[in-house]
Amino acid sequence: MTARTLVFLSLAIGLVAPVSLAAADAPERFSRDVAPIFVKRCLECHNERDAAGKLVLIDRSSLTAGGESGPAVIARNPDQSNLLTRVLAGEMPPPKRGHSQKLADAEIAVLRDWIATGANWPDGRKLDLYEATSEVRGGRDWWSLQPVTRPGIPSLNVPKRDSIDSPVDAFIQAKLSAARMQPAPVADRATLIKRVSFDLLGLPPTYEDVQEFVADTAPDAFERLVDRLLASPQFGERWGRYWLDIVRYADTCGYERDQEKPFAWKYRDWVVSAINADIPYDQFILEQLAGDELPDRSENSVIATGFLRLGTWNDEPNDPDEYKYERLEDMVHTTSTAFLGLTVKCARCHDHKFDPIPQTDYYRMAAAFWPGAIDPRGRELLGGPTKDELGYDVMGWTDIRQPPPLHLLRKGEPKHPLGVVDPGHLSLVPAMNRPLEPAPLGAKTTHRRRQLAEWIASPHNPLTPRVLANRYWMNHFGAGLVRSVDNFGYTGDNPTHPELLDWLASEITSHDRTSGWTSLKRFHRLLVTSATFRQSSLHPQQDQYVAHDAGNHLWWHAERRRLDSEPLRDRLLFVGGDLDTRMTGPGFKPTIQAEALEGLSRKEGAWKPSPAHEQRRRAVYMFSQRSLLPPLMTTFDFVDTTLPCVQRPVSTVAPQALALLNNGFAHERSTALALRIRREIPAANTGDNKLRERHIQRAWQVALSRNPTVSEIAAAKAHLETQAARFATPKSSHAVPEASLPTAGLTLHLSASTAVRVDREGRVEEWLDQSGQNHHATQPVADQRPLLVKNAINSQPILRLDGQRRFMHLAGQVVTSQSFAIFAVVTDQSTTNSHREIFSNWNGSAGNSGTSLFLGMTGVDTTRLCDDFSGVGHVTDRQKPFVLSGVNAANGVAIHQTGNELSARPQPIGPRNLKTNYVIGQQGNIDGEYWHGDIAELLVYDRELKDAERQAITRYLAKKYKLSQVREATPDRSPDFLALASLCHVLLNTNEFVYVD
Amino acid sequence: MNPFPCRQTRREFVWDMGAGFAGLALTGLLSRDGFFERIGYAAETSTAVNPLLPKPSHSFGQAKSVIFLMMNGAPSQVDTFDHKPELERLAGQPLPEGKKFTNSGGRKIGFLTPSFRPFRPGGQSGLMISDFFENVRKHADKLAVIRSCHTDSHAHGSALVAMNTGKTFIGRPSLGSWAVYGLGTENESLPGYVVILDKRGGPISGQPNWSAGFMPSSFQGTLFRPVGDPILDLRGPEFLDRAAQRSQLDLLARLNHEHMAARPGGSDLASRINTYELAYRMQAEAPEAVDLSKESKATQDMYGIGRHPTDEFGRNCLVARRLVERGVRFVQLYSGGGHLEETWDAHKSIETNHGQHAGEVDLPIAGLLTDLERRGLLDETLVVWGGEFGRMPFSEGKGEPGRNHNPYGFSMWLAGGGAKGGTAYGETDDFGFEAVNDKVHLHDLHATILHLLGINHERLTYFHQGREERLTDVFGNVVHGVIA
Repeated sequence: MTARTLVFLSLAIGLVAPVSLAAADAPERFSRDVAPIFVKRCLECHNERDAAGKLVLIDRSSLTAGGESGPAVIARNPDQSNLLTRVLAGEMPPPKRGHSQKLADAEIAVLRDWIATGANWPDGRKLDLYEATSEVRGGRDWWSLQPVTRPGIPSLNVPKRDSIDSPVDAFIQAKLSAARMQPAPVADRATLIKRVSFDLLGLPPTYEDVQEFVADTAPDAFERLVDRLLASPQFGERWGRYWLDIVRYADTCGYERDQEKPFAWKYRDWVVSAINADIPYDQFILEQLAGDELPDRSENSVIATGFLRLGTWNDEPNDPDEYKYERLEDMVHTTSTAFLGLTVKCARCHDHKFDPIPQTDYYRMAAAFWPGAIDPRGRELLGGPTKDELGYDVMGWTDIRQPPPLHLLRKGEPKHPLGVVDPGHLSLVPAMNRPLEPAPLGAKTTHRRRQLAEWIASPHNPLTPRVLANRYWMNHFGAGLVRSVDNFGYTGDNPTHPELLDWLASEITSHDRTSGWTSLKRFHRLLVTSATFRQSSLHPQQDQYVAHDAGNHLWWHAERRRLDSEPLRDRLLFVGGDLDTRMTGPGFKPTIQAEALEGLSRKEGAWKPSPAHEQRRRAVYMFSQRSLLPPLMTTFDFVDTTLPCVQRPVSTVAPQALALLNNGFAHERSTALALRIRREIPAANTGDNKLRERHIQRAWQVALSRNPTVSEIAAAKAHLETQAARFATPKSSHAVPEASLPTAGLTLHLSASTAVRVDREGRVEEWLDQSGQNHHATQPVADQRPLLVKNAINSQPILRLDGQRRFMHLAGQVVTSQSFAIFAVVTDQSTTNSHREIFSNWNGSAGNSGTSLFLGMTGVDTTRLCDDFSGVGHVTDRQKPFVLSGVNAANGVAIHQTGNELSARPQPIGPRNLKTNYVIGQQGNIDGEYWHGDIAELLVYDRELKDAERQAITRYLAKKYKLSQVREATPDRSPDFLALASLCHVLLNTNEFVYVD
Repeated sequence: MNPFPCRQTRREFVWDMGAGFAGLALTGLLSRDGFFERIGYAAETSTAVNPLLPKPSHSFGQAKSVIFLMMNGAPSQVDTFDHKPELERLAGQPLPEGKKFTNSGGRKIGFLTPSFRPFRPGGQSGLMISDFFENVRKHADKLAVIRSCHTDSHAHGSALVAMNTGKTFIGRPSLGSWAVYGLGTENESLPGYVVILDKRGGPISGQPNWSAGFMPSSFQGTLFRPVGDPILDLRGPEFLDRAAQRSQLDLLARLNHEHMAARPGGSDLASRINTYELAYRMQAEAPEAVDLSKESKATQDMYGIGRHPTDEFGRNCLVARRLVERGVRFVQLYSGGGHLEETWDAHKSIETNHGQHAGEVDLPIAGLLTDLERRGLLDETLVVWGGEFGRMPFSEGKGEPGRNHNPYGFSMWLAGGGAKGGTAYGETDDFGFEAVNDKVHLHDLHATILHLLGINHERLTYFHQGREERLTDVFGNVVHGVIA
């Protein structure tokens, strides 16, 4: 039943009551019968502010004064009273969207009788639009604003299930029984441990964990499991992420420059640690809203005030003076959504349309944030206080000024200030509506936020514990008792189990609510050890029950749930055995496909992925850049970071399938899983056939924490065989390529064995390009020419450079494509550790200092391809000849030494400025960074090279110069291994992998 | 599980089995809300609607798709579509004192400067268009130019977001998201809302420009590359060819069906199974949509493909036509990317900057209009042209050839899709500085675009946090003067 029908029914029932008339009970009668009609049907328009037709109907004098059409009521003369005639004609309340709003006959009778008996309005009785819920809005009598009660636990005449029933279950069972329904049976143990592990940690149990739990027949096995999980530090990482959604957490400001907010991650770490430490909820609230105003203020409590700094911040707002009101709205909205489940921000422009929140209340609350760094100041402060104002070099909030008065704004527009509003609390709980105290003497801050926080955190606040209990219920059970988890107002949903909600709310505020908040971990334990949590997601009478309660409002089964983006990513890492569980610290940046970076207005250097090992940390540590959220995460409904989000949508769309089928990360994880399986089940002493079966079994155990069924084994085996046979066919692209030199896209080919012209001293004056592109190398200055040395490498000649300013110019623009590959046969004899280049287009006058391209070395033995990919890898035996190659394309960049991968990343280097001069043997047009060593051959391709082509070219060069055997660093390209990886890839795509029963 | 948790029960939407990109056509529910103003529709759809069902015909609005040509960086109105002969007379004088404005970026304020290229009448309507758009001018009779646009920000970042979402702050769903939310998509194998960026870079503020805001992320714009693999993750590693992948999908389907058999009633599981078949098809169909080799040489020439400087935008325009032909609801093409002169942000020189950017887009846009018309697509395809704001009628310093930002008055135009061709609507003052007659705020523009799509902007709402949110918030009036 919706809120509105409930209200309507109670109204109707009230009106059926007999109207007995006696002058003595006139005041009571007015309050009981007449006032509700005025409040619910008239005051929306006839209040002090709006006064439609200049008529106000809030007290006796306004009634007497009447409006534009004269007096509203003539006592004892109903038929001459404007009020009644307009009501009778159906003119008042006016029709809405063509629908008559005419009062019910019973209501009209009450008014007629009231006028006929003297239109008695008790002295001093002033009606208030918000005092009672009406047809169109919630009043202060709205259910969520009433004090939290401690309902008795229903006593039931039903057998307990496995002795696990808790008070929670009694409330659930009571309603089920009333509907003649039974809860689902208890889920099996393997399902339970998976469910509770994902629920509390966001991670799966291992196969061994499952086996151990299934074998543990002790009656308290589940409770012990829950206690172990609640004590795990990974609990705070999972449950912290829920909170980060609510507080619109991101690491950057958004908008054009999207600056990083330094130390935002410390706030994230504070959240994780606060949850792990199980700090009381009032402290959790106080520190985030007013950690700087507390007597025991510390760096940590100031970090918590980062809560107020997490919003988007525009360093170039249209009108900086008006922008502060947007920021106020962000803070009011986040605070009220996070803690109160109300949409207070709606009252910025007008009285709230649906809830008892007059416009002044918005400004009373906003006044708490008004003394902070709201005014436009230096961009470098990113909208926050300075280090000195804050007292610590962290991201936080504090009052920085004696604030000017805050005006109520007409329609919320800064250009139209009305009266001054004093700081204060929301008026919707009159009992708690005390004026704010002035700040204590000597206080540096106004203590407005602290008092706001205390008001919110009071165990007597009816909203705070209800909203929290409901949110936790939603996170554990898949939906809230109040389905609209972020809206406890009139347009929200009513609780499915009001008594249970109150019982839970009272439970987290220690029943009598005098001693404050109780342990939240205890509360989690209460919920997850309930039979309601432990029931199966399937019900034997499912078909019948679905017809009755498809929305599971009675909680007759557990909800199967799709993993959120973070647990999904974490699980992919976990099963490969290389999830990095290090906690805290700055966020890592995941690799993002080059194509996805095209949306940035500043592409160069906009996104530098973290080293691979950093990327294996849990997703809660992922850097969140507002202008570029990782597609792999958003595809799986990662949260929009601009507004608080209490519950994420769950979508099921084809791009998710594309991502898990084709994304490089998914394949990296499949390969990791296959490697792990082969490591754990090595080939020793087992026949091929048996080995496959053991691989299959282990794959299921690791990926899905269970053993495969017979039919699954058969299907998997067939798959391994088919794929292995397919991958073994020689035409497959993975076959080891023959040595060859592709000519397509070859833009430069210099070989010391051909077309070298030397001067009389044996110095190379001209070296002709064999690619057909005429990028010939020349050096007009005699003493800067390299020497030609014959029979140097495998009887082949080389050019010798001694690091003494020898180099050559190349004609024309050698490279025109951002995808390219460079190969050089060289030795490195450098005795310094500085940069030294074989090939380069650095050219100061072309302004490409940060966007140039080169192939060279630096330090003792590390290599470089550009500033963005420099000091990587380690060359072995650098003084002996080797092939150094650098390849860059949309799918990534890599440097190899004679076929051995030295360094690679799946993201290309940023766009290069290619329209410059090119040289060999030095950096560019500066006098320095000369190559010291030999160069025998140099090839440049002006296009993307396939991996097989790179290998073929390397083989060609290795053969020609008799270089040590090429060892391919790629893990294993054998058909059997690829087939195993293919099977693993399928398992990671299964529904079983992404859903939790 | 309810996939739309932030919604009232009344509005619980039905998620389609195996929905593709934003595969939600909410026609049934919306029609019950009186969303489509067509009597008798509600009776046809009393139960949950499959989003793939044909869309209802509307009593108003004939456009099925939108191609939004976003001139990123803000073209100058007085040099393109807002003819101001008075500027010739007043050249060299300052803007009169009474005209208040924010000097964006604190730049030099110069003197009134007339158009850098002459205006001439086009078509039978004689609509005045400058030589920057000499090819578009041939289509003057198709254009409804709104000369009285104004917006809420003088800064690119905020104004771009405003043009796309209605608000200057990030976090709200964009116009394309609203269109797909309201009308669904007609081709599940392609995204319903496509954004093609300029190769030089994305717009300032990035992703929020095509965000779905508080709607599910499946309504967000999908970045589309006009060559090769247009969307992310269409291809796996080399060794997994189509046959090898088919083997994987067959095994996957078998495992998934076994899993589902033990879980009766698992519509969520069935949906996800279907997405894999859909993904498999998309791998082939998405590249096909951008394969221009199927277009004749004559068609390619019409768009300026294969020639400098029109090749890139020409390809994008032709891809846009192929997309709307294949049922994509909303296509946005960016001209200009990155910053300053790489966009239409002509601070240095109108002639140089607009010469370059108009030179890139003028012929392709004309080609697009011709092509849409001859294929009979123009009536159902609304083409929108414009930037995030306009430019000042005065120069940046004495004798300087550039112009600063101007949110107070600028021009945009609509063509096709029910727009009234050969029309100039609204006026700026004599200087082309600010809109004065029939002012059109971007909320009005948005309301009009939705109207042409057959959507009442006041009724297309998304319930979020206790409020029925709208693209136009509480504003917006349909500009009937530009509707045929």
